[in-house]
Amino acid sequence: MNGLLQRSDRREEALSQRIQSSHSPSLRPSPAGRGRIVFSLFAEPRAVFAKCASENSEPSACCPLSLRERVRVRVKTALLMTVTFALLACASFADQRFPPPDFSETNHQLPITTTPAARAEWLQYLDVAVLTACLGVAVWFIYKHRSRRGVYWLGIFSLAYFGFWRKGCICAIGAPQNIVYGLFNPGYTVPLTVIAFFALPLIVALFAGRAFCSGVCPHGALQDLLLIKPLKVPAWLEHALGILPFIFLGFGLAFAATGTGFPICRYDPIVPIFRLNGPGLMITLAVVTLLLGMFVGRPYCRFFCPYGALLKLASLASKWRVRVTPDYCTQCRLCESSCPFGAMREPSAGTVEPKLLAPDRRRLGWLVLLVPLLIAGGVGIGNRLGTPVSKLNPTVELAERYIHQQKSPVDYGVMTPETLSLQRAESDPETILKSAADLRHRFTLACMIFGGWVGLVIGLKLVSLSLRTLRTDFEPDRGACFACARCFRSCPNELVRIGVMPASELPKLTPATQPAGA
Amino acid sequence: MRASNVKTPIPQDAKPDSICASAPSRLCVSLTWTVWIAAAFCLLVCATMLYQHSVAAQRDPWKSPQLLKLKAQLRGTPNDEALKNEIRRLDFEFRQRYVRRLSLDRTGGWLLVGGMAVMLLAAKQASKLQAQPWLPKPKPAAGGEMRQLAARSRWSVAAISIVVLAGLGMVAFTARSPLPTSAVELDKLLGRGPATEGVAAIVSLAEFQANWPRFRGFDGGGVSTQTNVPLTWDGKSGTGIAWKSPLPAPGHSSPVVWSNRVFVSGGDATKRGVFCFDAADGKLLWQRTIENVPGSPAKQPEIPEMTGFASPTMACDGRRVFAIFANGDLVAFTLDGAPVWSKNIGVPKNAYGYAASLAVWPGKLIVQLDQDDGAPGGSKLMAFDCANGRPLWQRGKPTHDSWASPIIIQAAGKTQIITLAVPFVISYSLTDGTELWRAELLAGEVTPSPIFADGLVIVVNPSTELVAVKPDGAGDVTKTRIAWRAEDNVPDVTSPVSNGGLVFTIGSMGMLTCLDAKDGKKIWEHDLDMEVQSSPAIVGERLFILGTKGVGVVVEAGREFKELARSQLADEFLASPAFSSGRMYLRGTTNLWCLGKANHK
Repeated sequence: MNGLLQRSDRREEALSQRIQSSHSPSLRPSPAGRGRIVFSLFAEPRAVFAKCASENSEPSACCPLSLRERVRVRVKTALLMTVTFALLACASFADQRFPPPDFSETNHQLPITTTPAARAEWLQYLDVAVLTACLGVAVWFIYKHRSRRGVYWLGIFSLAYFGFWRKGCICAIGAPQNIVYGLFNPGYTVPLTVIAFFALPLIVALFAGRAFCSGVCPHGALQDLLLIKPLKVPAWLEHALGILPFIFLGFGLAFAATGTGFPICRYDPIVPIFRLNGPGLMITLAVVTLLLGMFVGRPYCRFFCPYGALLKLASLASKWRVRVTPDYCTQCRLCESSCPFGAMREPSAGTVEPKLLAPDRRRLGWLVLLVPLLIAGGVGIGNRLGTPVSKLNPTVELAERYIHQQKSPVDYGVMTPETLSLQRAESDPETILKSAADLRHRFTLACMIFGGWVGLVIGLKLVSLSLRTLRTDFEPDRGACFACARCFRSCPNELVRIGVMPASELPKLTPATQPAGA
Repeated sequence: MRASNVKTPIPQDAKPDSICASAPSRLCVSLTWTVWIAAAFCLLVCATMLYQHSVAAQRDPWKSPQLLKLKAQLRGTPNDEALKNEIRRLDFEFRQRYVRRLSLDRTGGWLLVGGMAVMLLAAKQASKLQAQPWLPKPKPAAGGEMRQLAARSRWSVAAISIVVLAGLGMVAFTARSPLPTSAVELDKLLGRGPATEGVAAIVSLAEFQANWPRFRGFDGGGVSTQTNVPLTWDGKSGTGIAWKSPLPAPGHSSPVVWSNRVFVSGGDATKRGVFCFDAADGKLLWQRTIENVPGSPAKQPEIPEMTGFASPTMACDGRRVFAIFANGDLVAFTLDGAPVWSKNIGVPKNAYGYAASLAVWPGKLIVQLDQDDGAPGGSKLMAFDCANGRPLWQRGKPTHDSWASPIIIQAAGKTQIITLAVPFVISYSLTDGTELWRAELLAGEVTPSPIFADGLVIVVNPSTELVAVKPDGAGDVTKTRIAWRAEDNVPDVTSPVSNGGLVFTIGSMGMLTCLDAKDGKKIWEHDLDMEVQSSPAIVGERLFILGTKGVGVVVEAGREFKELARSQLADEFLASPAFSSGRMYLRGTTNLWCLGKANHK
């Protein structure tokens, strides 16, 4: 233990020396050394130093394995994991449905299918209490304690409680569907617990950003745990894929409004893992997500999660925001690659060339004009989209099967499959057809709104990419930041704050000022 | 601790690289090994689970060739008990294995989670130890780079938007739907032409009364509103006989008539069916074999021939016609023979076979099932939605086997269903099946059905007594609501009939008795000297009685006995007559007879 501490001390001293002696490649003077806190299973956190680019060093200085060996080991590990997940997916496909016993001879009447009793009310309130407590603890860890370790263990707890124990239900991700379903179907009363799960993370996001995503959401916690070797997703691709959660959110809500189902829950690729069960397609998606999550940080949260899209919007208006530095930005760029989720943003240029202003403004104007056109186009597509999407509704499907049988009758004896289906639906053809027509109308309206929403999302995204951002420091993007606290310890100021490095060893800098001409 | 760390001096010649050069090596290797071992463990668990799945798939009871083969053999030798036991044993074994496999799957799943957790933790730690810390490189001016990034992002957003919109558009503009978009199309699809427009889905009570929609007419009382039914007929000369048609299948169910159609059911253990005849000329318009009824037993129950599979009389609600058979098959067809719905209510456990006829009321079909010697949960009364067969309600009955049919009456401000089965006469609310009142009056084998006359429910306790109950009570009315009892010439098979003031009964041996409906006192009796199984009916002022051997007697329904006519048909009659449009329909054992004017439209 003493050896470890001494080694840690020597590293901190070395960090100080490097900060003072090197030249900064960034716009403003910044420490040249590279500081990073590495956590291992048994050792205390310690700063791990890498060499400056100007120094020649051997990769083996950090690890006894050569580069080729390391690549070999990683490739093998990746292959092994892929095969394991593939086998797991195969096993899920092999699952069979158990046929009911044949009681025709004994005339045994099969018992009526029963549904399990609802979860006890106090347990539902317990869920809300745990959620509230977790959100509070997360905010405290992020803003007050600035502890990645705290957020990490909170994530482990949430994964165990909301994930594996509660099996991913109740969760905030699907809650917007209940809210919309309740709004459009007066016969359904949204439970208070669902309202709480929907609203609490959003309210917290209005004040403290995506604290829910940091360590309260079991989906995020699981993906955080899986992340082994994060690869950087190009920013342009990140922007493009970033519109998908909004589109999925629109689809999920439109679908829920028709009373047909909750696609956000149905096509959730993480829940089958919590339940160790699920349809073959979803288990395959889960395996793909897990595999992807080893190399791409939180792929579901970034490119698919519809609730994340809502939180992103709320976070844009949050009262407080996550900051890398606890004091002021030294512009050392050490935090530049600390975020595996591509949320880190660098300071914007201080001045803009006057000759570029006119084309930029022209482009912005055109894109603003494009927004209503995109909305109109989306509404037009949505108008036609109601027909195919409504086929996902069982009543509409049944009606179409009935019509098909009527138009091309097949003699099945007394009972046709369509008649059997009608019987199971406990309704007559006229009722089914009228219901289907009504549902088709609802679907058309919902899809028109959905189409308009898609157009709006695309238009606003294009507009936002044409706006100039004013930023003086390195800081996480408000909407994209999951508040995971990974970036904190990449900042020398943070090291000073926690006492790892003396303040006297920081260069004498002053807080940055607003870039001129922005 | 950290403060002291800061203060610790470090050697001036110490290089950062040498600080971390040696420490992680062993840990890194150990972690790599851990990853491999955990992965091997996961692979082993996966392989075991896959093997279990592959083995279980072969033993799937649904697909097992061994079991299918045995079941195929059983079809050839249905009474082979050893074969049955072998099938049961195999089936049970497979199911046990399946449940064991489910348990193994669950365990395997958790083992996989554990193995994966270890593997991932080790891999993460190994990855961390091998990580190359970040060193910022010199960058060009941020402004230009950000502009480029913004431009590239716009193009990528545009590209993905085009892909999304094109995908949505393709789905949107290629899909077609056969769903009707207007009321006219809907009517056309439902087969409702202009002629049927405005036809109500549920017909009125007046229409019910104008037809003969169930056993013994509209209210099950055996009274017709017709007045021009023939008095005499002759089977040999054909006088008074409009037509006769051979029956395609045996049965004891009585005919039901709606408008210009006559319906009867028939069949045996091998085949059962529903038959529709043209009331005008007796032509068989359509017949439907009862097949593929969900839940119908593969093996038919053993039913005594005297009862047969088609003793319960059909029912008609004006839009659909319903039939029930001794194996529990309940089917509905349109009046044109199109199947509407079917289901099996469970094979009735009745010693003599199921014989209670269906009762129908606008929108509701009533099935009385008394069975299993009064075993708990055995007997029940069920109501179904005529349109779709949806169960509306079901009530358990504390009663033994019965062969009497239920009737539906309107009394005491309620629509009541009156059922007879040992030991109770029970009245249920038609609305929701609530029990309204009961009276413990019955014993033996209850076959005659009740009637409702002069505000009284008249029931037959076979061969014992005739009892009139006031249907305005609640709870047990055995001692409180009995109007009168009569013990003279109580029938054992046939049901009584009443014109309001008088009640007529006829015994199996032909003893016809007239009672006063007010007090049950006998007014007269007369031996008709013939065997009778068919229940009598009243048309106008005439009482029609049909003997088993084909003798038809018409008696004046008055306070004095007066035989008006006696005719003969060459057939055997057990079923009760039906009346409609001035005609009488009789089901013989071989023919369906229509008595009245020929070429009647």
